[in-house]
Amino acid sequence: MSRRRPLPAARPALAPATRILAPTRPAPAEIPAAEVDLTVDLGRGLVLPNPILVASGTFGYGVEYGEVVDVDRLGGICCKGTTLRARIGNPTPRVTETPGGMLNSIGLQNPGVDALIEKYAATWMTWRTPVLVNVAGESVHEYVEVVRRLDGVPGVAGIELNISCPNVGMGGLQFAIDAGAAGEVTAAVRRATDLPLLVKLSPNVADIRPIARAIADAGADALTAINTLSGIAVAPDRRRPLLGNVYGGLSGPAVKPVALRIVYEAAQVVKIPVIAIGGVTELADVLDFLAVGAVAVQVGTAIFADPTLPLRLVDELAIECSRRGMATYRDLIGSALPARTGRPSAKGVEYRP
Amino acid sequence: MRPAAAELVDSREILPGQWLQAYHAPDLAVGSRAGQFVHVRTGDFSGMVLRRPFSLNTVDAATGTVTIHFRVFGRGTEWFTRLRPGDQIDLFGPLGRPFEVDPRSRHLLLVAGGLGIAGVRMLADEAIRAGRQVTLLFGAASAREVYPSTLLPDEVEYVVATDDGSLGHRGFVTALVPDYEAWADQAFACGPAPMLAALARLAAGRRGRLGVAKLGRKRGGGRTDPTGSPAARRKAFLQVSMEQNMGCAVGACLGCVVMTMSGTPQRVCREGPVFAAEEIAWEGGW
Ligand SMILES: Cc1cc2nc3c(=O)[nH]c(=O)nc-3n(C[C@H](O)[C@H](O)[C@H](O)COP(=O)(O)O)c2cc1C
Ligand code: FES
Repeated sequence: MSRRRPLPAARPALAPATRILAPTRPAPAEIPAAEVDLTVDLGRGLVLPNPILVASGTFGYGVEYGEVVDVDRLGGICCKGTTLRARIGNPTPRVTETPGGMLNSIGLQNPGVDALIEKYAATWMTWRTPVLVNVAGESVHEYVEVVRRLDGVPGVAGIELNISCPNVGMGGLQFAIDAGAAGEVTAAVRRATDLPLLVKLSPNVADIRPIARAIADAGADALTAINTLSGIAVAPDRRRPLLGNVYGGLSGPAVKPVALRIVYEAAQVVKIPVIAIGGVTELADVLDFLAVGAVAVQVGTAIFADPTLPLRLVDELAIECSRRGMATYRDLIGSALPARTGRPSAKGVEYRP
Repeated sequence: MRPAAAELVDSREILPGQWLQAYHAPDLAVGSRAGQFVHVRTGDFSGMVLRRPFSLNTVDAATGTVTIHFRVFGRGTEWFTRLRPGDQIDLFGPLGRPFEVDPRSRHLLLVAGGLGIAGVRMLADEAIRAGRQVTLLFGAASAREVYPSTLLPDEVEYVVATDDGSLGHRGFVTALVPDYEAWADQAFACGPAPMLAALARLAAGRRGRLGVAKLGRKRGGGRTDPTGSPAARRKAFLQVSMEQNMGCAVGACLGCVVMTMSGTPQRVCREGPVFAAEEIAWEGGW
C-alpha cells in the first residue's frame, strides 16, 4: 500500500500541520447560515436546492407526510419505485425491526407509471422541490417504456433507476450485480430520455467499481448508493422465515458502514456525482458521507422515527458551514478520500470543462 | 397530526405483562376518535429504529390525557415499562381512521380477544356518551388474563369467555356472538386474526339467519362504497380493527397492508385500521 501524501491545501483543514497553525490564524469569518450555498448541480438543468433528499420507498409520493413536513424545503424527493403496470406487491408481513435497522419486502407495490403521472405529476409541478421518479422493471424494454412515458411530463424532474430488480431475460439475476447488464439498461434508458438520469447501486455485489464505471460510461448523470442489503428474519415461533416474501432489504443505521464503503469506492472511479444513502440519522452521518465523496445524501428509514429529520439536517448543515466559515457546503466533499484521487465531482458531467 | 412530546402521568401493570399508561397529550385527547392509534417513538433510536403503534385506549378531554394498553413483547415495549411519571416521550397521532357508527344504531356489540380490548375500549366510552347500549364480549386464555371490569364504564354489559373455563364461559368468545346477533345493530371487533375471521363468517351469515335479506331495500340503497371509505364502514354490520407491522404509519411505505376483496392491498395505517369485515380477504389473503 502506498503511503498517504499530505492533503492539498485546498482541502478542509484536517492535516496536523494546519491544526497546529490554526490558533495563530484569524478565525474564519462567519458566514450567515442563510447565505451558505447548499445548491447541488447534477447537470441537465437539475439543480437541487440543498443536498438532503428523501429516499425512495420511505416518503411515498411526497404527499403522505404533507401535514408533518414542509416538502418545499427538501433538496429532492425520490418517489416509491414505479413499474410499467400496477403491482400489488408482496405478501405480509412486509416490515420488521432488526438491531439498528429494519427489513422490508414491499415488493414494489405501485399503481403503475400511467396512474402515477395522473395522480401526482400535477401536484409535483407546484413544488419547488424536484421529484425524481424511482423506476423499476424486469427487462430493459420495461425500464425504457416507463421512462419514455415519464419523459417530458411536467413535475417529473428526473429519473432514479432502481436496477436491483431481477432481470427476467437473464434468468432472474439482478441488473445491479452485473456490470454488463447495469451498463446496458443505463444506456438504453439514456437513449430514451434527456431527463437527468440517476442510477442506484446495490450493495449486494463483490466489487462495486466495475459496475459504477459501466453505469457512468453508459451516460448516467449521477449514481445513488446504496439500496438495501439482502437479509432475512425468523418468525417468533421459529417455524418459518418471518417476512411473507422470505427475503427483505436491510436499511437503517446498521447499513451505514457498508454505504460509506460503497460511496468511498464509487466516488474514486467515476467522474459523475455520487449521492449517498444508508443509515443517515444525524448531521454527523451527512458529514461522513460528504467526506467520502458524496455530493448529497438521501434520508430513508430514519424518517419513520422522525419525519422532521431531513429538514433539520438542511438547517444544521447550513449552520455547520457557517460556523466553519464556508461559503459553500461543497468544501466538505471528499476530505476523507485518498490524496491521489482528484476531487470528486460535485457537478453534472456536461458542465465540467 | 404531528409528532409531539407527551408526559407520562401514570403507569400500571394491570395484568401480568400488560401495562396501562396515561400520557398528558391535550391535542390528542380532544382530537381523536375510537379506532385511531398513535405511533410512539422509543428513546433508543440507534437500536430501535421503528416507532410502535398503539391503539388509543381511552382519551379524557377534561384532563388532557390519553391511555395506551400494551403487552410486553420485545425490547420496545420493555423500554416503555421502565418510564417513570414525568418522563417525556414522542407521540405521533391521531393516525388511521376510526370506527363509524351508523346514527341509527342503538345496540353496539363489542368483541375483544385479549389485548384486542385496547382497540375497542374507547368506542365503549363514545357509545355510552351518545346514549347507546353496549355489550362487550371478551375472550382470553384464562382468568389471569381477563381485563378488569373496574376499568370499564358501569353502563357496559361485560361478558367473559376463557379458553380453559377458569372465568365466565368456557371456550372461544366467538361462541357467545350468536346470542347477541339479533340484539346488536352493529358489531365492532379487535383481536387475533383467526378470531376476526370467525366473526366475519358469522356476520356474513347473519342476514340470512335473521331474515333481514327478505326485507327488501338494503341499507344505503345497495350502492357499493369504495373499499376503505367511511361509508363502507358505516353500513357494515361488523367492523374490525386490523393489526399489521408498521413502518411510517402515514401511508408512505406500504409496509402495513391487508389484502381486500377488491384485489388491492389497503394500508392498515391509512385506510384502516378499521375496515368493514366484508372488505377483507380472510381466505387466501395474506
Ligand atoms: C420500506 C422501504 C421501501 C423501499 N422502497 C424502495 C424502492 O421502491 N426503490 C428503491 O430504489 N429503494 C427503496 N428502498 C431503499 C431506500 O431508498 C434506501 O436505499 C435504503 O433504505 C437505505 O437507506 P436508509 O438506511 O436511510 O433507509 C426502500 C426502503 C425501505 C425501508
Ligand atoms: S406503515 Fe407505512 S404505509 Fe402503513
